[in-house]
Amino acid sequence: MSVQSHDLHLLTGAYAVDALTGDELDEFEHHLRQCPSCAEEVSGLQETAARLGLAAAAAPPPSMRAQVLDATNRVRQLPPSGVRLVTADGGRRRRRLVRRLPRPIAVAAMAAAIVVLAVLQVGARHQLQQAQANSQSIASVLSAPDARIELGSSTVGGTMTAVISAHDREAVITASGMPSPGHARVYQLWVMRGTSARSVGLLAGGGAGATSPVLADDVQPGDQLAITIEPAGGTRQPTANPIAAIRTRS
Amino acid sequence: MNTPSVGRQPHGRGHSEGHGHDLAGLLAQVACGDHAAFEAVYDQLAGPVYGVARKVLRDPAQSEEVAQEVLLEVWRSASRFDPARGSAAAWVMTIAHRRAVDRVRAENAATAREQKAAPDIGASDDVFELVDVALDRQRVRRCMGSLSTLQAEAIKLAYYGGYSYPEVAGLLGLPLGTVKTRIRDGLIRMRDCMEVAP
Repeated sequence: MSVQSHDLHLLTGAYAVDALTGDELDEFEHHLRQCPSCAEEVSGLQETAARLGLAAAAAPPPSMRAQVLDATNRVRQLPPSGVRLVTADGGRRRRRLVRRLPRPIAVAAMAAAIVVLAVLQVGARHQLQQAQANSQSIASVLSAPDARIELGSSTVGGTMTAVISAHDREAVITASGMPSPGHARVYQLWVMRGTSARSVGLLAGGGAGATSPVLADDVQPGDQLAITIEPAGGTRQPTANPIAAIRTRS
Repeated sequence: MNTPSVGRQPHGRGHSEGHGHDLAGLLAQVACGDHAAFEAVYDQLAGPVYGVARKVLRDPAQSEEVAQEVLLEVWRSASRFDPARGSAAAWVMTIAHRRAVDRVRAENAATAREQKAAPDIGASDDVFELVDVALDRQRVRRCMGSLSTLQAEAIKLAYYGGYSYPEVAGLLGLPLGTVKTRIRDGLIRMRDCMEVAP
């Protein structure tokens, strides 16, 4: 069911006051990325909507100030460049930090990369050695000439890292700095395509350190690599929203 | 013998450029982990953030929860604020309104909202009495007054009521297309009235 772009343009106002839902919201946001004039209009109307908000100011409970200020000591900030933002605004703002590695030094760079991924950040050296020894596939992804490193921040703190080879259709994923998933819970990794999700495995290790690298095969452009928190042992299908995700691209 | 005149300083008053109100500058400092800058941001925006949550959610406890989430989100993602794409206040208020509306819609999925408790679309704003916002309120009221009744009602229901535009259409008994254009036309007219730069 597709809507004329002219009709979509008329939704700028409804979008600016968050009056769009469901498919229409998705469709409009998709349109927005390709329509600079719509984006400009939305931005102006959001300024206007914000004025409505400012005019509604109300005195919050006095205790809120100390609570919020205190909480900032426990909330990790997102880094300055465009790592994908998963939760804010319901995942509507998406950016990524993508680093293309120079081809000539791919192997050396990848060796360095896995060090960054799995060791130096968190000091889980043995996991790296284990992973290297155990998995030729992982090594092959890491040394693929077209491999990219992509980072995604986790909503629970910490970082998800993926090295993706579009050519090999494979990705190696680790996570670092994430808190324990909780009693009888695990971090589970998925490849999500459209509305379907395929489990790639559990992220072992965790705690404050890095998880062991996990290899995902049959990863296609547009697929999303996502981590959810699931009951111990994992589940067949995700039962919760991702706490971190990285979308692959071609 | 001429004595050169000294001591006359052109800027005797220690000119401070919008000190305390430069939200964009403060957010840049917050992005670097500056807690004092965040306190200043809090003091400027906690009222509006909480107020918009109250408007949409009504319930004080829920509003406080959402306001806290939003303000922590500002702390967390200050580095993502891009001054080229809009004002700092709009960035924060967009997050705040979206969170409040998301909360309402999540609840609606579980329990139908009482339609009868819906919108005081009149001008009765019982919630706040802050001197700082008097000017904003005045200007918003004045510009609201320049809209057609339907435009103003549609915008108030959508923004302050947190209703989706199909819900607004249902409440006002109007076709979807009409509501869609009323909201847009009304906002454009308000934008021009308030001289908000595009």
